[in-house]
Amino acid sequence: MAGADALLPEFLLVLFFLLLVTLDLFRSATIKSMLPWLALTGFFASLVVQVLEGRLGQSPQFLNLLFSDGLAQYSGILFSLVGICTVLLSVLNKRLDELQKGRGEYYAFLLLLVLGLNLMAKSVNLLMLFLAIELVSIASYILTLTLKENKRSIEAGLKYILYGSLSAGVMLYGMSFLYGLTGTLNHTSEAFGLALLQANPLMVTVAAVLVFAGFLFKISAAPFHFWAPDVYQGAPMPVVALFSTGPKMAGILVILRFIAPFFATGPASAFPDVWLLLGILAIVTLVIGNFTALRQQTPRRLLAYSSVSHAGFLLAALLAVGTNYTSGVLFYLTVLLFMNFGIFLVLQLAEDEFKVTKLTDFHGLGRFYPFLGTMALVYLLSLTGLPPFAGFMGKLFIFTNLWEAYNHTNDTMLLVLLVSGILLTGVALFYYIKIPFYLFFKGNYREENLVISLSNKLLLALFGLPLLVLFFKPDLLTEWIERLLTSTF
Amino acid sequence: MDFILSSLIFTPLLAALAVMLVPGRLQLPIKGIALAGALLQMGLSLLLFLGFNGNSFADGQQGYQFVERLSWINFSLGSLGRFQIEYFVGVDGISVSMVLLTGIVGVIGVISSWTITQSVKGYFLLYLLLLTSVMGCFLALDFFLFYLFFEFMLLPMYFLIGIWGGPKREYAAIKFFIYTLVGSLFILIAMIGLYTSVIDPQATALQLGLLEKGMQLTPEVLQQVQQMLQNKTIEAADMVRTFSIPAMMDGANFIPDSLLHTLSGYQLWNQPLRFIFFLLLFAGFAIKVPVVPVHTWLPDAHVEAPTPISVLLAAILLKVGGYGLIRIVYPVFPDAAAYFSTLVGGLGVLSIIYGALCALAMNDLKKLIAYSSVSHMGFVLLGVASMTTEGVNGAIYMMFSHGIISAMLFLLVGVIYDRTHNRLIQNFRGLANEMPVYTSFVVVAFFASLGLPGFSGFISELLVLLGSFSASEATGLLPRWMTVVAVIGLLLAAAYYLWALQRMFFGKYWIYTDLREKALVSDLNLREYLMLVPLAVLAVLFGIFPSLLLDKIGVAVSGFTKLVLVNGQEQLQGVLSSII
Repeated sequence: MAGADALLPEFLLVLFFLLLVTLDLFRSATIKSMLPWLALTGFFASLVVQVLEGRLGQSPQFLNLLFSDGLAQYSGILFSLVGICTVLLSVLNKRLDELQKGRGEYYAFLLLLVLGLNLMAKSVNLLMLFLAIELVSIASYILTLTLKENKRSIEAGLKYILYGSLSAGVMLYGMSFLYGLTGTLNHTSEAFGLALLQANPLMVTVAAVLVFAGFLFKISAAPFHFWAPDVYQGAPMPVVALFSTGPKMAGILVILRFIAPFFATGPASAFPDVWLLLGILAIVTLVIGNFTALRQQTPRRLLAYSSVSHAGFLLAALLAVGTNYTSGVLFYLTVLLFMNFGIFLVLQLAEDEFKVTKLTDFHGLGRFYPFLGTMALVYLLSLTGLPPFAGFMGKLFIFTNLWEAYNHTNDTMLLVLLVSGILLTGVALFYYIKIPFYLFFKGNYREENLVISLSNKLLLALFGLPLLVLFFKPDLLTEWIERLLTSTF
Repeated sequence: MDFILSSLIFTPLLAALAVMLVPGRLQLPIKGIALAGALLQMGLSLLLFLGFNGNSFADGQQGYQFVERLSWINFSLGSLGRFQIEYFVGVDGISVSMVLLTGIVGVIGVISSWTITQSVKGYFLLYLLLLTSVMGCFLALDFFLFYLFFEFMLLPMYFLIGIWGGPKREYAAIKFFIYTLVGSLFILIAMIGLYTSVIDPQATALQLGLLEKGMQLTPEVLQQVQQMLQNKTIEAADMVRTFSIPAMMDGANFIPDSLLHTLSGYQLWNQPLRFIFFLLLFAGFAIKVPVVPVHTWLPDAHVEAPTPISVLLAAILLKVGGYGLIRIVYPVFPDAAAYFSTLVGGLGVLSIIYGALCALAMNDLKKLIAYSSVSHMGFVLLGVASMTTEGVNGAIYMMFSHGIISAMLFLLVGVIYDRTHNRLIQNFRGLANEMPVYTSFVVVAFFASLGLPGFSGFISELLVLLGSFSASEATGLLPRWMTVVAVIGLLLAAAYYLWALQRMFFGKYWIYTDLREKALVSDLNLREYLMLVPLAVLAVLFGIFPSLLLDKIGVAVSGFTKLVLVNGQEQLQGVLSSII
């Protein structure tokens, strides 16, 4: 098959998946304990393959269903990193460690989920897209349910499946409309764009709205965010960290590819309703995410709503039409990965070692364990978007692109997005700072002297380092992204 | 003297790193390192002040001294040109006095912190970080660098108030953080708008090949680049967007199609966008100053903060607000500054009077002084709004002098609080009998603050009032009644200080019964002498020899006011004409 080598990372993931499932059949404890490292090797292999430039073609592959370009390559790298981080977090997670049954399946489905993410980023065909999204969804349902003895886990899984299948159905319905309107499933092709322009704008809007139901579910944007708090509350911590990054990134990339034909001729030209809808959705997501987070009492739910608000930012970033916002979005996604895995590692440690389930349980922990406290602060400030952390740079690029787009088009929507995005950062600080507030200001931690293991400390530092480096030298990454993006287009 | 500015900024940071390596139980070495770091910073700032040439004026391109300029972040935005952030620091007459002030107050603060016992390591770590960021703010000439330091001040301050503060410290810390963050978000919006609209002429000339690498920008090339820019003959991809504040000061560096160009004619809510951006920036810095009605974080933060942090807050952190107005807001938007001068001056007068009235009503000595700070910062605003040479000189002098005097005032409150754990005015009477030396320092500080001739406060208030009174003729920016009303503020200042003096210090010695048992009312000790004597000497020194400071800042200020006025008139006409 032509260009099959471009699908090497996917083949590798499948290979390791099969290997893992097969090895899981053996009952030897040595083999069982090797499984996580096998999964890690798989992710590393796919990472290495994609980092090495020149390995990948840029032609359509697999019956014109998939397309590898710089965007897909970079997102593949991100997804491999997501996989690696998730495995590392899972290895350090006590409750997953104590798991008797299903450890092999857990890591196998991780591989499968990342495979789905890769396919999402590469698919240029609506049907393929649907299959990829469903692959991710099914793997997600199972990962949510890993801790079967946990009642909350079951509840979370059930809610996730119900919401997920509903939105998938609606999305498929919308896709069928699009197929009917354009006569092609290839949603990035020129013919698709031209056919859209000739179709009835109202029908196109309706179809787009339906399709967005599925996308917005994946990135947990309003009004499809209701699953997030429950799933975040119930699922194992590494899985939560995975959900807050992987599917969100893939969803954003899918939207990025999907909306391109709609706004090819400028923001509000052909489909003003779609434009307005996306803008309003971004603002609503930002507002709901930030303001609901204010009232949360548990760190998991707080971060669930924080992740909703980040979805809002990313949606807003996609509307900066006319600027080359892609590299800004990719930069933000990269930073999001490190911030989220960092803060969820902190939460996992706090939950496993110090029995923290509510915000108030953090009382004085930071003063007792300054390293843990400081790293928590670093991640939270980066999530807020304060200097000197990379979260600030990510937001700065997004706001800059929005301003540039506003400068070109004078579309008030962009200004509203920009201003609400910036001002809501003030609100965001208010809830993010709650965790350091309890960590450092409230009460004194008085329990047996526990030691945070070296591997945990190393990993905490490892996630923190890129946040500093990418603040002081963001051009290291943006130049690389730009090169990837432009070399293949 | 080559890297003096970087040394100034990073000395405390290095000291902080050293503190980090020392184990937490070794308190004395930690304090020693902090003191050494602060002393070194003060020495450097003194060296800088003495080495600074007061006869030069920074016009946007030339005239900054001890400049260090390195490329920091620089990458292509594709068809939108290049994005450039520089490590760009330098001093001119406006910043040099603030640098000296930061150096001095930094040392005083360490001495005042000597009695801290709770988690000493963390405290001095944060303290030194704070010194680094404040110094960075005063030296940065790149807006991004400035913003970085500006934001980074919040974090150490938040923890210093929240962990080492008084009973309501958590509330005060959060309030401080949220207020200032909202202010800096306004500034962020303006910053994004500005840097996407302004090009760096030197880097753009390099990009166009008009300059060889390593060559300095000559006036001819500058003019050529600016003409090409305004004639729209530069490709967008060749434009190098910049955060450089000097570049933003020149209206000819604005990209013609950008919304913030003076002739863009773009309006939002029936106001030119430039005016709205001026108001955004102004609001951001006004919160920091603070200006009534966004001052409410200040009394809480001051009252709850430990003494050394109150000193730092009043003496140097507030100055960042006033400094930002002079360094960024006025020169970048001179048109809007001229347009809104009455508003700015009016808010200044409001702060003077409202702050003084509040001070009059307080029964907590620390709150009284906090509100007197609000009142004094009003003078800064009034002086800046007048845009006369006297007024701006007065505003800078006021910032310097208030830095010295308010540090002294908060230290004095700390003295009585250390001894009795109370500072309510009605709980004390006739303290002069028991603590005569303390009382004499209080008298000196109070008189210096209310503007008695012979103290630095007098010079600054005189200059501001002279400037604002003459403004109606010289610049036409302020009506005369504002000065008249502001003078009432002086009267009120005399009233609240003298009344407090009378209630607390004169008469027969008496102190509230509950305090009597734990209180050990003794006069000053050596450490307190060490802090108060230098400050008192400085207050007198700068009161008798104003030329010590004015010689360094005078030329720069007169050049600055001229620049702002000329550009302001020209650009205001442009803005107003392009609307119709």
